Amino acid sequence: MLRTENLFLSYGDKPVVQDISLAIPEGGITCLLGPNGSGKSTLLKSFAGLLPPQSGQTFLDGRPVTDWNRRQLALRLATLPQKPIVPEGIKVRDLVALGRFPHRKWWQGNSTADDEATTEAMTMTGVLELAERPVQSLSGGQQQRAWIAMALAQGTQILLLDEPTTFLDWGYQLEVLELLSSLDRRHGISVVMSLHDLNQAAQFADRIAVLADGQLKAIGSPQQVITETLINAVFRVSTTVRVGNDGRPFCSGASTSVSTTPAIIN
Amino acid sequence: MTQPAPPYSRQGYHRLSVSGLTPVAKLVIAGALCLALVLLGGIQSGAVNLTWPQIWQGLAGEGSQHVQRVVLEVRLPRTLTGALIGVHFALSGWLLQLLSRNPLAEPGILGISAGASLVAVIAFILGDWLVSSDNPYSNTSFALQYLPVFAMAGGLVTAAAVYVLGLRHGNLSPVKMTLTGAVIAGMLHALTTGALAFWGHAHTELVAQWLAGSLYGVQWHHLHTLLPWTLAGLVGIAILLRPLKVMQLEDQQARSMGLHLNRWRGFALLIATLLAASAVGIVGPVGFIGLLIPHISRQLAGTNFPLQMTLCVLLGATLAVLADVIGRTLFAPYEVPVGVVSAILGVPFFLYLLSRQP
Repeated sequence: MLRTENLFLSYGDKPVVQDISLAIPEGGITCLLGPNGSGKSTLLKSFAGLLPPQSGQTFLDGRPVTDWNRRQLALRLATLPQKPIVPEGIKVRDLVALGRFPHRKWWQGNSTADDEATTEAMTMTGVLELAERPVQSLSGGQQQRAWIAMALAQGTQILLLDEPTTFLDWGYQLEVLELLSSLDRRHGISVVMSLHDLNQAAQFADRIAVLADGQLKAIGSPQQVITETLINAVFRVSTTVRVGNDGRPFCSGASTSVSTTPAIIN
Repeated sequence: MTQPAPPYSRQGYHRLSVSGLTPVAKLVIAGALCLALVLLGGIQSGAVNLTWPQIWQGLAGEGSQHVQRVVLEVRLPRTLTGALIGVHFALSGWLLQLLSRNPLAEPGILGISAGASLVAVIAFILGDWLVSSDNPYSNTSFALQYLPVFAMAGGLVTAAAVYVLGLRHGNLSPVKMTLTGAVIAGMLHALTTGALAFWGHAHTELVAQWLAGSLYGVQWHHLHTLLPWTLAGLVGIAILLRPLKVMQLEDQQARSMGLHLNRWRGFALLIATLLAASAVGIVGPVGFIGLLIPHISRQLAGTNFPLQMTLCVLLGATLAVLADVIGRTLFAPYEVPVGVVSAILGVPFFLYLLSRQP
């Protein structure tokens, strides 16, 4: 589905992603993990065809993503940025209906099929009863579900999300992750997202890619990737990793590792 | 338990109210009535006292030659041009506020008004200088006649410069563009004032009047110059209505929905610039209509873009004509420029709106 080959990405002169080659197959939930500035968001932008590579290439369905027609691409994958902007005064239904944009030529209005897709997306995310409420009046968790509904209304098989849980409290974080997990299981939508919480990634992901300093450090199942050695190397934190009842790894941070922290006390 | 539908919700459109009209239709009709009233007021008021029967006769091409002249050659073109000017500034400001996500954006912010003003003042001064240098082919009336063209060119060039300087990594950045526009406008204003102070002795009064935004001496040919731009602007905005909705989203998200963001944003800016620059060319910079009317229209119309646009047209025209009527009757026979009156009328209302916001 998504594949990168020796991908280099940069903003102006500032290199961000350096020589990443990875493949994400169709289906399941893929999490990108890594410290701040490791290139997670930038890689997601490249997946969405929003950032032309410096060198190397990102392929979607075997074709360079930069060769895709913008509208065709919008029918194949939907993107949710980290800090989306809510249009002033917009109601949930109208926001979700914006997701139908790529299905229409610019002079066409929304059809009955579009209205149905909009309603279905709101049902799937549980925001139907909020349809007539202004988005700005909703709680953080409800807003995030409205945004996911909008991405779903786009009707794509791939969903790219940049830290969808970042501004939510812990309860809403789990709610959003469970929603994404159900979209994958019930509707076969492939989810690719960046996350900050290792345990949430371990719990919900089928596949984890770990980035650090713009490079790929590991990719595989949570059991393969979430190890004490790797976490120590990437986040500079010494941890204890246990296996939970569900067979997924679970880690608890002990302290920042001595090797990189200056001895402040002395 | 049934909750009443909010005024402009989807249900609201279809639910008939007591008088049998939807809220949208009511707003449009109210706006149209306001406009009709001020248009009549614009034709009725002036230095010569005319009765309504005389005015109808004049409009119908009957009655005395004098009445026909006053109604058809002076008041009608002035009133209609005033209405169009209002439409131009209101629609331009509406586009700019949407594009820059800045409720205080208006045509002045892109340096359009400042660029047009500077070029107009230079045209005045050059016209005057050419006369005194005994050049038989040029005189001041030449400068006056082509003032709209000069001013419009000045506005367009300035706006183009602001766009180019506002580019960031090849993308149009609304924030950078707004700041650049403000800085450039400030510089051009200083140059205009300087030019007037040094060389403006001959026509200071005329120039000052133009700079304040005045409909004095507007004739049919001004309307004819303006009308094609009005139509082009309206067609452009009709094309833009749907993409504009998506352009309100975060840039990357809008692009990932299949929108060619830079293309559409550039097109919207072009339309906004053409509308403002053509209007400035005719009457000079009139600031507050472009700030105020879009703001009021958005408050009244909610998120309904076609309704916002319609209200901008109706209310923009209304405010411009009303300001002109007040300006030429309040201290008659002296005239207060439309730009001054619209600011004095509009600002208290604007402050009232701001104070009501949470």
